[in-house]
Amino acid sequence: MVDLQKIEWCSRKPEQFHNITEEVHRLVENSPVKNGLVLVVTAHTTTGIMVNEGLPCVETDIADTLARVVPLEADYAHAHFLPSYGATGNNSTGHIKSLLCGNHCVFPVVEGKIVCGGAQDIYIVEFDGPQLRKVYVEIFGE
Amino acid sequence: MMIIDMHMHPIYYKSICPDEEELLFRQNAFGTFKQAPYDYDETFIELDYAKVDKAALLPLDLTTTEGGWVVNNDQIAKVVSEHPDRFIGFASVDPRREDALEVLDYAFGTLGLSGLKLNPAKQHFYPGEEFMEPIYKKCIEYNKPIIFHAGLSWEPNCITEYAHPLKFEPVAVRHPELRMCLAHFAWPFVREMVMLMIKYPNVYTDTSVLYMDSPEESIKRLFTIDMGPLWTDRALHSQIMFGSNGPRFRQFKLLRALEKIEMRDYAREGIYYKNALRFLGKEEA
Repeated sequence: MVDLQKIEWCSRKPEQFHNITEEVHRLVENSPVKNGLVLVVTAHTTTGIMVNEGLPCVETDIADTLARVVPLEADYAHAHFLPSYGATGNNSTGHIKSLLCGNHCVFPVVEGKIVCGGAQDIYIVEFDGPQLRKVYVEIFGE
Repeated sequence: MMIIDMHMHPIYYKSICPDEEELLFRQNAFGTFKQAPYDYDETFIELDYAKVDKAALLPLDLTTTEGGWVVNNDQIAKVVSEHPDRFIGFASVDPRREDALEVLDYAFGTLGLSGLKLNPAKQHFYPGEEFMEPIYKKCIEYNKPIIFHAGLSWEPNCITEYAHPLKFEPVAVRHPELRMCLAHFAWPFVREMVMLMIKYPNVYTDTSVLYMDSPEESIKRLFTIDMGPLWTDRALHSQIMFGSNGPRFRQFKLLRALEKIEMRDYAREGIYYKNALRFLGKEEA
């Protein structure tokens, strides 16, 4: 059995950590699927799905490290007008940080609950906001 | 400091996207793709993050050339009536339509819109042509400014020659009382744009220039290479307005780049809001 759900969130800044742990756990607990896996995957190429400890200081360290690795100003090839959009991209940092962060996470589901460590919070991370974002939560099993 | 964005296209505002057919017309005529209609909430989040207080919304009447509008005057008036604290509504008219002056009387007199948007490259006319004179006189009669698209236009079926800055000089000569903005710094014809601003104090431009490079690179080039680094402080501080050209370019990225340009406080205040208020005919500016 497959149960596909969706979380929508509108970011308010160009880069923002948004903790969706409770929403994902609630979707799993309300799902008809009781044993299997849950997949959490972003619908975008300039966001990430991150599993980490839900502390502001950890978020700060991750954001600062990503900013050092992927600086705002560099000679990105993507910094030009895109005919296929009729708009300017200029969001290379978002694409690269999304790659580094990854686009999904997976957890086991046993007897209607996610099996995870106590520090494993789930985030959608915005790298090109503000804008409306979608995260798909697919619970599959039996 | 207040910030006014004088150049936005509300083609994806959900409250004025009545159906798929109209949205498709707008996308094809305007040349933006891979975007979907959004609520005001999303618009205001972006405005608030950029610290933009008000935004001028621009429609375009393509009745005789393409058989429709990229947002019409009534739709602009609807958005403004729903959020008068955040939006400034402009009108448009296809200058070749027989009822062009009636359209303007309705837009200015009944709808109360704040100015006129024309795109010579897309609407296929030279600004200095004689048949345009009644349009200009109507704007003067109502004391309404005109924002002309100028320079490169990405929209399909645009002829750049119609929007070359030199084509606007006859209008500036004939109508010194008509406030006119040649948008986008008439990019890439920046020097010609500067020439017009030196000669004609009623000629304005806006900062929506991001066809190449990153926002920082593009704005730095505009303000320090295409123009001398002191030209804004010394001569042009009262004629440049902030404009983003959203949704093609994002406001906060252009503002982030502008913040990195050195200029005197009076020049920055002018660009961010004072010139817009004067352009719009507000006495306090």
